[in-house]
Amino acid sequence: MEKIVNDLSHHIRLNKGFFIWMGFLVLAFLACLYAYTRQLQYGLGVAGVRDYISWGLYISNFVFFVASSLIGMLISAVLGLIGFKWVHPITRIAETIAVAFAAVAGLVIVMDMGRPERLAYVFMYARFQSPILWDVTVITTYFVISLLLLFLPMIPDMAVLYKRFSKLPSWLKPVYKVLSLNWTDHPEQNRIIHRSVYILLILIIPAALSIHTVTSWLFALTVRPGWDSTIFGPYFVSGAFVAGSAAVIIAMYFFRRNYKLQDYLTDMHFNNMGKVLVLVAFVYLYFNINEYLVPGYKLKRADALHLHELMAGNFAVMFWLVQVGGLLIPIILLLFRRMRRPMPLTVISVAVVIGAWFKRYLIVVPTMAHPFLPVQHVPENFKVYTPTLIEIAITLLSFILVLIIITLISKFFPVIPVVETAKDKGLDPLKSIES
Amino acid sequence: MKRLFCLILLLASATWRLEAQNPGWPVPDDQKGKICLVKFTPDMVKQGEAIYMKNCQSCHGIPTKKNFAAIVPSPGDLSESKVGSQKDGELFYRITTGKVPMPEFRNILTEDERWSVISFVRTYHKGYKQPDPEKLAGAAGKRIRLSMAYDTVKKKIMVKAVELSKDGPQPAKGAEVVIFIQRYFGNMQLADPKPTSEYGYAGFDWPQDLPGDKRGNVIVTARVNDPTGSMQEALVKDTLTIGVPTDKPSLTDTRAMWSTRDKAPVWVILTYTLAVLVVWYFIIYIILAVLDIRKIKQV
Repeated sequence: MEKIVNDLSHHIRLNKGFFIWMGFLVLAFLACLYAYTRQLQYGLGVAGVRDYISWGLYISNFVFFVASSLIGMLISAVLGLIGFKWVHPITRIAETIAVAFAAVAGLVIVMDMGRPERLAYVFMYARFQSPILWDVTVITTYFVISLLLLFLPMIPDMAVLYKRFSKLPSWLKPVYKVLSLNWTDHPEQNRIIHRSVYILLILIIPAALSIHTVTSWLFALTVRPGWDSTIFGPYFVSGAFVAGSAAVIIAMYFFRRNYKLQDYLTDMHFNNMGKVLVLVAFVYLYFNINEYLVPGYKLKRADALHLHELMAGNFAVMFWLVQVGGLLIPIILLLFRRMRRPMPLTVISVAVVIGAWFKRYLIVVPTMAHPFLPVQHVPENFKVYTPTLIEIAITLLSFILVLIIITLISKFFPVIPVVETAKDKGLDPLKSIES
Repeated sequence: MKRLFCLILLLASATWRLEAQNPGWPVPDDQKGKICLVKFTPDMVKQGEAIYMKNCQSCHGIPTKKNFAAIVPSPGDLSESKVGSQKDGELFYRITTGKVPMPEFRNILTEDERWSVISFVRTYHKGYKQPDPEKLAGAAGKRIRLSMAYDTVKKKIMVKAVELSKDGPQPAKGAEVVIFIQRYFGNMQLADPKPTSEYGYAGFDWPQDLPGDKRGNVIVTARVNDPTGSMQEALVKDTLTIGVPTDKPSLTDTRAMWSTRDKAPVWVILTYTLAVLVVWYFIIYIILAVLDIRKIKQV
């Protein structure tokens, strides 16, 4: 028991590496924040978005963030409720990623607003018929459920650490004391936690499916080529699992190395996550084939233009890199056991995540570039969308924010559930508190 | 060599002058001299400002603010000197005929309204002096009075033009009459312009399937808009009960997906509210239960 507590908690301290990493993040954050102040001052015109292509990097990035946050549901709820024990050490990593991405996804939308001080209008003048209201609602709900799913299983951990982990930094002690809610491992307390987590795990499945389905409806409820599709919901959800699984694998790799968790995040976990990734990638590939083959076979005029632009036109290089490099090759490689070892799997996951990000760009921008009515009497920069430096910096800002949130949560709380790990190994954490 | 240089210089200056004088939108010479037949008054400027804000401001912006729309070709700010240096007739012609992407206002604004817009824009042009309408009083053209009635037998709208001359009213022959029907946005021209007969009549076939309001009312405008200026503008506007009575509820009258929030379909409101209530009931229930953990002491 002592070893488990120590192994899973020894990283909870302020060390040089943390200061360097956080210092870097904060500096980068401030630099990018300056870009945002420029946008506040001069308006959205500082970004490359114009009348016709009014959704650019920000919205693509938003879709990517919502997608990545979905992994919390897949790991904790779907795999957890089925009864896979191997996911236990990964659940908290998945929930951390879910919380960070879901929290920042909302901010990304604010970044895309020309008048962010009017944010309250979204609620004051909300229409029940608008998918935008549904989106705001489900993202808020999903964020709260994910936060609870991150926090509830951590309550016993914090109680154990508060009492048993001598090296817990003194400034963190009051935080742990308050957050552990007088946990004494009383059966009634355990009952409450178990029941609550169980309800949440069931609740998060429809919530997560709605959040990304509704996000896909922001596009699919229009008649525009490339968006006018009935399978956009499952297409987005399966794509989300691909991005999220890859993100979790990358996080697992870094936590395993930096926090020395080799005994807890073993090759078996990576192997299994690799299998999960290849499974969801296959599902996603299936939806991709549907999404391009069906309109491609019929070739309605607008669809033909759109598909040509994607596959042979201005977006062709990005399109084929994403489809082949970010989906097809990873699937083939991951079929081999050797490729599912930590190092190669992480490299493949990085390619998948980058592909997933550009995939969102390919969903959002090309369609906007081809409205049904001809684009005329406008300056050249209305016709072609080029992200500006400020826009890129603001997009980076959101990524930095996600990294800061993940860093803070993972640095000051155990990354792997302590009590659950002990119980899985047949140890009784109860005794450790009583003593 | 010298001659070549001179030639180039000449050509260059010629092109430059062409560029300066003719920004790709020529105005016929006979239209340039057109002027407003009344003195601009503060009331007219005020009316012009209101019309400007409704019809022109979205592209041209507010004069002197340079906040015109970023479209090609640029609409520009109307307070600029390149507008100020144009004659009233040129401005009038451009407003009247339009040129893509600028709409033509011939059927949207009456002549008086177009002149009032010019009177408003002119307040931004320093040194502008309105050409004296008094001097043109004699050459203002004949005064015409129009009247209009529906001939139920011939199914035609008959427009009668009467010239008000010194010797009393008499039929006006050869007056170009145009007919417009008021629709949701602006006026729809019914047929090609027609000259009046020697008895002063012009007849227009009335389409039997044209929708009117609930009672079949249609607002019809007949106008004499003589391009040569030999006749003054004359206009008659009347509500005639000759359209097909149409009582379609407006698309936004009933509850619908595209309507305002207050007119959302009931099932959408119910589904949304119910889903939110159920999910948040559980979330709040769990939060309260978890807070209870604090109260449970070890036995």
